[in-house]
Amino acid sequence: MAISKTNPGTEINVTVIGDSVRVQGTLSGDEDLHVLGRVDGRIELNRTLVVAPTGIVKAEVMVKNAVISGVVVGNIHASESVEITREGRMVGDVYSPRVIIVDGACFRGSIDMGDTASMAGRQSGNERSSSAPSTRPLSSSSSSSPTPSRFSSPPSAPPPPAWSPAPTSAWVNSAPVSPPVVASVVIAAVDEQQSDDVETLEAAEHEQEPEQEIDQGRLPTDPPQARGFSQKSNKARVIVKRK
Amino acid sequence: MLSAWAFQFACLLVCFHLNLCEKPMASTVIGNSIVIDGEITGDEDLTIRGTVKGRISLTASLIVENSGIVEADIETRHVEVSGNVTGNITANEKVELKSDGRMVGDIKAPRILIADGAVFKGNVDMER
Repeated sequence: MAISKTNPGTEINVTVIGDSVRVQGTLSGDEDLHVLGRVDGRIELNRTLVVAPTGIVKAEVMVKNAVISGVVVGNIHASESVEITREGRMVGDVYSPRVIIVDGACFRGSIDMGDTASMAGRQSGNERSSSAPSTRPLSSSSSSSPTPSRFSSPPSAPPPPAWSPAPTSAWVNSAPVSPPVVASVVIAAVDEQQSDDVETLEAAEHEQEPEQEIDQGRLPTDPPQARGFSQKSNKARVIVKRK
Repeated sequence: MLSAWAFQFACLLVCFHLNLCEKPMASTVIGNSIVIDGEITGDEDLTIRGTVKGRISLTASLIVENSGIVEADIETRHVEVSGNVTGNITANEKVELKSDGRMVGDIKAPRILIADGAVFKGNVDMER
């Protein structure tokens, strides 16, 4: 079919589920996956899932990155980022430190940007801190970071997770939505806990997982700007940027 | 004027040729590290380089490449096996076992080709 010409999927390390193909069951692997057809069941990848405009995914998805231009019904657990593009439609919950929802996208469900570190396994958090320097776990010195006035908490913000030592500072990277978009929605999670709470949480975390100490110990040397102000609040906030 | 027309015609021929060359490439590829446990159905060619367990049902060709491992019952039009297949194959056109292919299971197809070097254990049914 013509897909092979337009799609880079025929390269070695990309798996393509073509237009007319339907997969039912579990799909797991270690490479990028482009879904142009339909997948029902469960997807587990250590790489990127791309759902093309023709793609339909009804599955529990566990990936590193997800780019949704088609239809997704089900929950997505991403260790790095989830992007819903203009053509994307999604119903389900998103658990990811970075979530980008572009203007025109349809989404129904809840977003949790703080829980990923405790949920998808600690190793994903460690990977993140080494591969993407902007997505680090919280540091205890959060009082120095300012909160811009343009961010206001909507009344409908979901309740904060029970505890969240998660790398929510990643929202900074989610900001660059494509320029031609007129109104873009960026949803960022920020911690509303006081810095004392964060410290106690982190102390508890140290006891649980000693290997985290390396990350934690390195962090206070980072400039506050790099961490952003995300340590301030624990609620997901909706920011509408217009230009 | 004539040369321009000839050039256009040549371009057209080249495009047509490229199209023909690309046609055998499958549009669905299951990559090396991918494991699918379940069912695959579809109307287009499928190339398997990874692992598929369960059932495969296509109206086009199935190509199991060297690295491919299939533990499934297969119903397609045409099958080409260079990898490992365990399960029964029902094809309404042709089954080819290449020299690298290994297959355990029954084959039912009007045309069956087993190349030198291929490993096969099972029944063959070529009734039309």
